[in-house]
Amino acid sequence: MPAVAQPTVDRTNLPTVDVAAPSATQGGTLTEPAADAGHSPVVLDVRDLRTYFFTYDGVVRALDGVSFKVRRGETLGLVGETGCGKSVTAFSVVRLIPDPPGRVIGGKVLFRGTDLLWGLDSEARIKIDEKTGRAKVRRSFRRIKTALERMSAIRGRGISMIFQEPTQAMNPVFSVSDQLSEALLLHHGTSIVDELLNATPSGPQVRPALEALVDTARNGAPDTVRAAAAKVGQAMNSSTFGTQAFYLVSESDLGPEDMVRRLERVAHRLRLSRIERAYLRQRRRQMVVEDELHELYLSEMREGHINRRQRRVLRGRHARNRLRGFYYGIWGIRGRIQRPLRDETFWRSVQRLEEVSIANPVQIARGFPHELSGGMLQRVMITMALSVDPVILIADEPTTALDVTIQAQILELMRDLKRRIGTAILLITHDLAVIAEVADRVCVMYAGQIVETARARDLYQHPLHPYTQGLLSSIPNLERPDKKLSSIPGSVPDLIHPPVGCRFHPRCPYAMPICKEQRPPTTAEGDEHTVACFLYKGDVAVE
Amino acid sequence: MRMWIYIVRRLLLVIPIVVGVMTITFALVSALPVQDRLISAFGAPPKNAPGGYSPTIPCSDLNKSQNGTCPNPLYVRDTHKLGLDQPIFYQWGVYIGNALTFQWGYVDNHSGASQSFSQIQGQSVATVLGWFLPYTLELAILSLIIILIVSIPLGNLGAVYRNRPIDQASRVISFSGYALPGFLLGSFLLFAFVLALGPSVNWLDPTCKTETWYQFWVGSWPQQSCYTGEIWPTWLKNGFISSPTGFPTVDAMIHGQWWLAADSLLRIILPALVIAYGTIAGLLRFVRNSMLEVMNLDFVRTARAKGVPEKTVISRHAGRNSLNVTITVLGLTFAFFIGGFPVVETIFSLWGVGRMFVYALLSPYDYGLIFGSTLLFTFLVVFANIIVDVLYAYLDPRVRLG
Amino acid sequence: MTAEGTTEVPTPTAPAPAKVVVSRRGRRPNPRIAQMKRTWYFLRRNTLAMVGIVILVFFIGIAIYALTQPIPWTQLQQQCASAGINPPTPGSGCVCTYYAGSANPGPGCYQTPLNYPSEIAPTFDLSHGTLGPYPMGSLTVAPNNPVFYNIFTGLLRGADWSLGISVAIVGTGALIGLMVGAISGYFGGWVDEALMRIVDIFLSIPQILFVIIVIAVLVSIPVFQPFDARIALLVLGFVIVWWPFYARIVRGQVLVVREQKYVEAAKASGAGSGRLVIRHIIPNSVYPIFVQMSLDVGTIPLLLGTLVYLDFPIFSTIYFPEWGSMAALSVAGPNGVSTITDALLTCQFGSCVIPWWQFLFPGLALFLYAISVNFLADGLRDALDPRLRR
Repeated sequence: MPAVAQPTVDRTNLPTVDVAAPSATQGGTLTEPAADAGHSPVVLDVRDLRTYFFTYDGVVRALDGVSFKVRRGETLGLVGETGCGKSVTAFSVVRLIPDPPGRVIGGKVLFRGTDLLWGLDSEARIKIDEKTGRAKVRRSFRRIKTALERMSAIRGRGISMIFQEPTQAMNPVFSVSDQLSEALLLHHGTSIVDELLNATPSGPQVRPALEALVDTARNGAPDTVRAAAAKVGQAMNSSTFGTQAFYLVSESDLGPEDMVRRLERVAHRLRLSRIERAYLRQRRRQMVVEDELHELYLSEMREGHINRRQRRVLRGRHARNRLRGFYYGIWGIRGRIQRPLRDETFWRSVQRLEEVSIANPVQIARGFPHELSGGMLQRVMITMALSVDPVILIADEPTTALDVTIQAQILELMRDLKRRIGTAILLITHDLAVIAEVADRVCVMYAGQIVETARARDLYQHPLHPYTQGLLSSIPNLERPDKKLSSIPGSVPDLIHPPVGCRFHPRCPYAMPICKEQRPPTTAEGDEHTVACFLYKGDVAVE
Repeated sequence: MRMWIYIVRRLLLVIPIVVGVMTITFALVSALPVQDRLISAFGAPPKNAPGGYSPTIPCSDLNKSQNGTCPNPLYVRDTHKLGLDQPIFYQWGVYIGNALTFQWGYVDNHSGASQSFSQIQGQSVATVLGWFLPYTLELAILSLIIILIVSIPLGNLGAVYRNRPIDQASRVISFSGYALPGFLLGSFLLFAFVLALGPSVNWLDPTCKTETWYQFWVGSWPQQSCYTGEIWPTWLKNGFISSPTGFPTVDAMIHGQWWLAADSLLRIILPALVIAYGTIAGLLRFVRNSMLEVMNLDFVRTARAKGVPEKTVISRHAGRNSLNVTITVLGLTFAFFIGGFPVVETIFSLWGVGRMFVYALLSPYDYGLIFGSTLLFTFLVVFANIIVDVLYAYLDPRVRLG
Repeated sequence: MTAEGTTEVPTPTAPAPAKVVVSRRGRRPNPRIAQMKRTWYFLRRNTLAMVGIVILVFFIGIAIYALTQPIPWTQLQQQCASAGINPPTPGSGCVCTYYAGSANPGPGCYQTPLNYPSEIAPTFDLSHGTLGPYPMGSLTVAPNNPVFYNIFTGLLRGADWSLGISVAIVGTGALIGLMVGAISGYFGGWVDEALMRIVDIFLSIPQILFVIIVIAVLVSIPVFQPFDARIALLVLGFVIVWWPFYARIVRGQVLVVREQKYVEAAKASGAGSGRLVIRHIIPNSVYPIFVQMSLDVGTIPLLLGTLVYLDFPIFSTIYFPEWGSMAALSVAGPNGVSTITDALLTCQFGSCVIPWWQFLFPGLALFLYAISVNFLADGLRDALDPRLRR
């Protein structure tokens, strides 16, 4: 074990550290706080998050003061044993905690300066019965409903999530492309509709481009075919038609003349009738109003109060648009009118599937989730989550349910996407190996609290907290096979009656009397390395 | 393509059930005395047969110059036709064959049913039931529509707003529907409406007013108390057999008599409400519980995390999935649903198969009608179950794609 | 905006003592008792279920009280045959009536209007402590039959009948269903298939029709002529129709229980099939039946009432004051015309006297009984369901 610091703590003259004031200005567009020197700006700032679950057996103090920061473009790993509260943290950030029995009790979650937990206080009153330890929670359902409404502006747009069991995570009755399309339409709806409206299937360059495509298809490498298909798409002002043409050409074995004719026929389907155009414009109006609603929600959260009048106006417009859409829907029984939009989103989802290098994207897109394997589904989930270019992706144990080989593929995919798009990732896992591969910084959680935060390399080379040291030393070492497997004695504490003071003290080999009484503050012990342990007496840092 | 395979497989599964039901009725029928069996199978004995269906007749009736009793040739012939002299397996075969081809016997001319309703005398059971089936079907379809329209939204809302006023209200409906027997509720509603509405207008002849106005509010068609002579429209024979489709509301619309169609529809709204109330009581809890279960599943969380607005999450994602369970449960409660028809049809005096069943229970039982209507109702249940299964496969791709 | 203030949850200064469980003779505490305690806790928190239990206990009390009364109600016909001529003995439950204009036969006789002989204006007279003819109205037992019995005593005795018959039917049916379901679920294979096909067949036939045809066929057998045998026939008919429900439920549960680890462990330690089924599988598969059993106890009196309403001739020679039959008789059958229907048919607007008490009181009793049972069943279902955790 590495040498430990002195056991005494001198608390009399700890320097005070200024809390970095949030520089989010009121009003205007979203702003980020001023960047720390040399670091990219913080996109997610979690401060003192507390989440409790009120159950028959008592109050489960799942999260008790969790704080961390995620910077733009970095991957933060959140490690811990099962049951330490990692997933709860993720859900609390996006407020997906199921309300009975759980609630976020307090804290701040600043996402690009906006507090996602705004309005928490007024939503419920909680009374604890000291004798039995059970709680009575009186909820104000209207406020909870408005809060969740506001969150729908953030979820999927700024923050995306992927979950642990990919086989359960998708709706079994809708096809894969339906679900992908839903995400795409929610966030890129206006641009999709615009492209559909501007498609020109009968320009003069279309036919020659089609013929060129068919020529290359007969004897060309896939790359050239793709390029030719892309040219076709350009000719038609519709990128999805390029994809469609590519697949049509690769899959069928008609003669060149028939092929071209067939392609032309399919292209002419992109010519919209008047009522289809009207429907698309109607949808576009609806999407615009939805976007405005979301902007309104964001500004409400930022400014801290509800703008009722504006909301009512927007809601009215939204309702009128929906009514008009309903009218159009009746016109097109069995979705005839919606067919152009569905086709367009289908091919877009195929494009997205291509991006995550899934073979047979057309087949997969048409199929249903129960036909796909776990690894494939996880890729689809990642696609769905990233289709909107979120600022941060929260990945809740994405590889736990998958085999090691698939795990490697998924991690490679995530690294690749990180490089390409630059999304920040909050990766939650219990697997230290995964962290080592992907994470830039790591937070170690124990029993609902963060015990150590460091850069990945620093954590593995100089673990400070006894729990981290125990975790790392319990990994079997291939180079020393005769060494006995060590483990941390004891078991995970009961979160209904957690240990007083430092929650790790019953299992800690260095436990001191003060550990049983007070919760250790988080102290900074180096460059970007903080730890919550009385063994270290560095400067108190506020995370 | 897979859908057709699934449908065919499902149809094949139906055969053992149908045969099984017929076996049960066969077992019951064979416990009957022989006379009753013969009458229910072949109808009343022809008038010129001396001794009817008794096993033996005095030999003198047969122009034999013997004393004592000789076997009745009619009896011998008919029991042989039924196979009563053969082993029971043969009888079973004969019975199943007849039942599958809708030869369900004849109406007993001396049974209580025939006495109260003379037009059915001498007809075959299948024909009689065919006359009355459309009324029952109209009632069934209307009840089903009401059930679906009420129970699915109410159950879903009860799950979403758990333990709030709408959940309590749906609980009240569910409990009271269980606790109120159909006859009580139906009678009570009927009396209340009859008292409230007072004399009605006879659409066939608005100038006719009658004192027993109660009779205008019940029954499948206005009663004939005002008139002598033929008042029915030409397409309505005997006052209840309508052509061309047999469905009175539809036929009235086909023939352009809109008031009659509306009248016919109004007469089945109240009974449909009574039946629907009972079924909704059982269904509502299931819908609510299945919706609760579905809302806790992972993909609902994923949909929320995607940013789908809450209303769409509930109606599209969760609602679609809980619909599967709802439809399955509806299929299971079909037997109960159909069981309510005899009572309701009796209360409201509708010309349905259920009412015919009740008539057949009048003092001399008419076994042909009893077993015939039971078989018919069972066929309806089985058919409804098939439809439910097919619908389920349509809604849930996991079932049809394997 | 941290929550220092109203919503701060105080962390306890010392951990609360863990629940102490008394172990008996070194054995581990019984998990079933713990589950029962937990179920009772949830049940207690459910107001509706508590209301249901209270009402049910009240009805059971009435039934027990009625049982102690020495009135042989089954022979009502003989007892009340003298009604209208000689005053019947007090406490017999019969009511003596006479038409307006004729002589009063004696004390305790009530005058009724000519057209509706069963119409006696209701008054409450609970000052008498005996099961006497409290003038709470009376009920025509059969059309045009001058036999009446007092509704109040009918209600009291009806508790007996309703509860007794339902419990008998549900108990027997559940037993048979349990055995069939356990065998079917445990052995699987073709046994399971065959038994489930049979269950499907039974479940496809609508229940009321099935009961009626079974009883209609069997009633002609001379064994079933005496009154007690008729009641037994009634119970038998219902049991034949009802056991498949339980079989299906039990089989579903057995399929789950069969895969549990403790069954595997018992098998590995050498338990034979019979012992396995009896000791391990059945006790753990029983829970879902309880909900269904309580529901059925509530719905069976309603079905009995429906049977009587359809004027099913099994009861034509029996007058027994069961709630369902009382309610049915008040409202009419297709062939008899009850006083209420009669009144509606012939009365003119504004001058109707409808003997509402004839269907209100038995109907109310029936309704309260069924709804209390349903509250209890619903509470049980919520308490036993692990997925609806609070």
